Amino acid sequence: MTSNVFIMDNGAHTIKAGYSNQTEPRVLLNAVMKAKSERRRPFIGDQLDDCRDASGLFYILPFQKGYLVNWDVQKTVWDYVFSKEIFNVNHASTTLIVTEPFFNFTSIQEAMSEIFFEEYEVDALLRINAGDLSVHKYHRDRPKELCCLLVDSGFSFTHIAPYIQGKKQKDAIIRIEMGGKMLTNHLKDIVSYRQLNVMDETYVINQVKEDSCFVSADFNADMKKARLKPPANDILRDYVLPDFTTIKRGYLRSLEESNGKSPNNEQLIRLNNERFAVPELLFRPSDIGVPQQGVAEAVVQAISSCPEETRPHLYRNIFLTGGNCNIPGFCERVYSEVRSAAPAEYQVNVSLAKGPTQYAWHGGAAVSQSAQFPEQLVTRDDWEESGFSACSAKFSV
Amino acid sequence: MASRETGRAKETGNRRVLDEAGRRRRARKALEALEQDNFHEDPHANLVMSKKAPKFEELLDSHGRSKERKRKTRSADYFKQRYRKNFAMLLEEDQLSNPDGPNYLTAQAGASQLPERHLCAVCGFPSPYNCVACGARYCSTRCYSTHQDTRCLKYTA
Ligand SMILES: Nc1ncnc2c1ncn2[C@@H]1O[C@H](COP(=O)(O)OP(=O)(O)OP(=O)(O)O)[C@@H](O)[C@H]1O
Ligand SMILES: [Mg+2]
Ligand SMILES: [Zn+2]
Ligand SMILES: [Zn+2]
Repeated sequence: MTSNVFIMDNGAHTIKAGYSNQTEPRVLLNAVMKAKSERRRPFIGDQLDDCRDASGLFYILPFQKGYLVNWDVQKTVWDYVFSKEIFNVNHASTTLIVTEPFFNFTSIQEAMSEIFFEEYEVDALLRINAGDLSVHKYHRDRPKELCCLLVDSGFSFTHIAPYIQGKKQKDAIIRIEMGGKMLTNHLKDIVSYRQLNVMDETYVINQVKEDSCFVSADFNADMKKARLKPPANDILRDYVLPDFTTIKRGYLRSLEESNGKSPNNEQLIRLNNERFAVPELLFRPSDIGVPQQGVAEAVVQAISSCPEETRPHLYRNIFLTGGNCNIPGFCERVYSEVRSAAPAEYQVNVSLAKGPTQYAWHGGAAVSQSAQFPEQLVTRDDWEESGFSACSAKFSV
Repeated sequence: MASRETGRAKETGNRRVLDEAGRRRRARKALEALEQDNFHEDPHANLVMSKKAPKFEELLDSHGRSKERKRKTRSADYFKQRYRKNFAMLLEEDQLSNPDGPNYLTAQAGASQLPERHLCAVCGFPSPYNCVACGARYCSTRCYSTHQDTRCLKYTA
């Protein structure tokens, strides 16, 4: 291949983008945002870094329920990613790897293919699930393993996807309607009801979530502890909210400093059972009335719908990717719940991707180096000859 | 149960009670609210930007392109017109073209087998009680009175 490979993991929350020879992708919000304080212009992706006051930030998102529907917004963000300001992509000499969700709708697949070939005029294209990229890398790094049970827990939803000898088992894929967006919105809701109205502060509360939450190892025990007073309760913490003048970014106070006092008039919220009841939704969606299995239950269910001889391999290769897997305690909780639900004779192994948000992007870099890569691509010539049917013949989502 | 469920709070004796349909509708609305991108309105929705500054839509169209390319490329608005299906339309189309799956709907997680947990709608702690009027959970008289003062039947039509 003579052309450069550009990899874009196009998530509903962030785009992870960069050339295959970079060591790390750039991670930027997949959104156009408007700030109350800035009347002159919207902010695209990480232009938000230029915004001094992100209070009341208004989001315009390309995705709805995890699927790309607002094409004008998406086009705006992509234009920015490809522009001189960031990557200065010369499409004519670029092979593009771009991700899309499991079971992406045909109309969206068509639109994506058309935009990249007709509008950006890329040299060659690979449209693929982020999960496929992750699993490719997983196996490259562990060539002896035969199967992988992939968990991808992102913004809009969480997918559980078994792969047998690298092949995606579409019949067994499970989608849980729970992701980082719901967690943030739920935290916003309960903080607003219990303490302080933060309903307009999605941006800030998302940071609160990322800074403060943990997955409980024992929900009932932590609930008991949260009822106590400090020091017996070591969960209760103060979170100092940003005021965008002296405090640019909020932060969680340490246990010792969480005294509920604000000598300099800092605005505080006190976080107690919220810290673990919010990520708990990934394991118990029913806590807020979503009538679905949680992550660990779905892992067991997905494995049980695969052929029996593959199950020991799947249980041994449970692999966690996506932003929510960053939450402290996530991996341990998946292990302990799966361990107690799985048949005793199976060995259970759960590992957390190093950099769960960026892992699929690195998977893309690995794919671009594989010997099969050229055959996976739809080239300009293929497109000009057969259009979308060239894509449906090669890409499987 | 011959009477039609109205989804309204009914007067039964002196007490207003939300019927089953009303409770379900309320639960559904709460979940829909959790999927929203924003709770508030666009702060600059109808803003006439200062004369020199381009309008929001114009900014979207022209951003990051060299002049030479601009002639050839289509505006962001073109793509909005060209691909205007919303989620519900996409799903319907998918069901028609691939009814047997595997597809979006077949992948949906099934019901949990774990026992449901009862958490107080006010403070989030485990809660043994149910509000008779609306079905919400509460844990103590204190949370119950907060619930009655703030949420209970306040928002029902
Ligand atoms: N340290 C963290 N703690 C808690 N949540 C986190 C952390 N880091 C990232 N997240 C959450 O992960 C979510 C984004 O994950 P990810 O980047 O995998 O999603 P995406 O690829 O953009 O979306 P999707 O795959 O659903 O289209 C966000 O909701 C974000 O708040
Ligand atoms: Mg993703
Ligand atoms: Zn309570
Ligand atoms: Zn009530």
